[in-house]
Amino acid sequence: MKMKIKLEKFGTTLISRELGSEAFKAFQPTLLELPPNEELEIDFSGILTLSSSWADEFLSPILTQLGERLVLLHSDNLSVQATLKILQEANKRQFKFRYE
Amino acid sequence: MEEKLLKISEAAEILGVSIDTLRRWDESGKLTAIKKEGGTHRYYREKDIEIFASDLFRFASDWISQGAEFPGTFYCPTSSEFQARLVKMERLLMEKPGFEKLYSLIVLIAGEIGDNSFAHNLGKWPDTPGIFFGYDIGKGIIVLADRGLGVLETLRRVRPDLSTHVQAVEVAFTEFLSGRAPEKRGNGLKLVREVVLANPIGLFFISGDAEIHLKGDDKTFRVTRGPNVVRGCMAKINF
Repeated sequence: MKMKIKLEKFGTTLISRELGSEAFKAFQPTLLELPPNEELEIDFSGILTLSSSWADEFLSPILTQLGERLVLLHSDNLSVQATLKILQEANKRQFKFRYE
Repeated sequence: MEEKLLKISEAAEILGVSIDTLRRWDESGKLTAIKKEGGTHRYYREKDIEIFASDLFRFASDWISQGAEFPGTFYCPTSSEFQARLVKMERLLMEKPGFEKLYSLIVLIAGEIGDNSFAHNLGKWPDTPGIFFGYDIGKGIIVLADRGLGVLETLRRVRPDLSTHVQAVEVAFTEFLSGRAPEKRGNGLKLVREVVLANPIGLFFISGDAEIHLKGDDKTFRVTRGPNVVRGCMAKINF
């Protein structure tokens, strides 16, 4: 079982640290509904630009909360790829990826 | 055919400055007006206004070094205004031939540098809040600047051992700062460096007297000491 969210629901150009933090707070109630044995799948389709500042406020704390249960869907977008790579280096922790 | 002349009010509207500013610029020779024979009214050639408005780097650098006025169209007083103008630029860039994929990395770099200015200076702007953000997609140039605290003063709060602008800029672009820092620290500039090094994108960055030049085929990351000390930060992105 899994819960799937489309990141574009938060916007297609995700840049500022401040807005990343707001998105994380807004997402907390949904995250609390996630049953303990379910995965959270994040879909980047539709995203035009994702910055590491925004993603650090949103994805990094979710990774801490969920660990292995956080799954990122592969994206062709260059900014998504660059951002996820640097977040892994900064957090010294790998994301779990899935190809769809 | 006689060239169309703009009235001072029309030129002011296009540039987003006041008529008084244009009068001052005329007197100082920064932007010279035309006076019709025997008249006292100031007029401007459309082409001259266009050329004047295209010198993004000079506007930004005169602003951070001397506090000089610049066309209001390039001013983003708040982070949300910056975000809105960035999205507009993103749309234009996506349509540029050859940038169908690369656009997102350029928006990423501009976004990280601009957001850094706001995130690190919120409530601490020494005088003018906000940033300069100008771009010319045709020429492949983006210029960002702020009159904020600069990298050294900002980083000293978490790294009191830093003593020079060069050291501070080096750290900002290369080191991941401890998660125990009292403020959230970005990885933004580290990402900027990696992306610029790996892609056909150039970067000139300056804060205090520290400079970074990453351009051409032989890009080596090095922070050097420049001749002048500037306020805040300034960046020029070429693509």
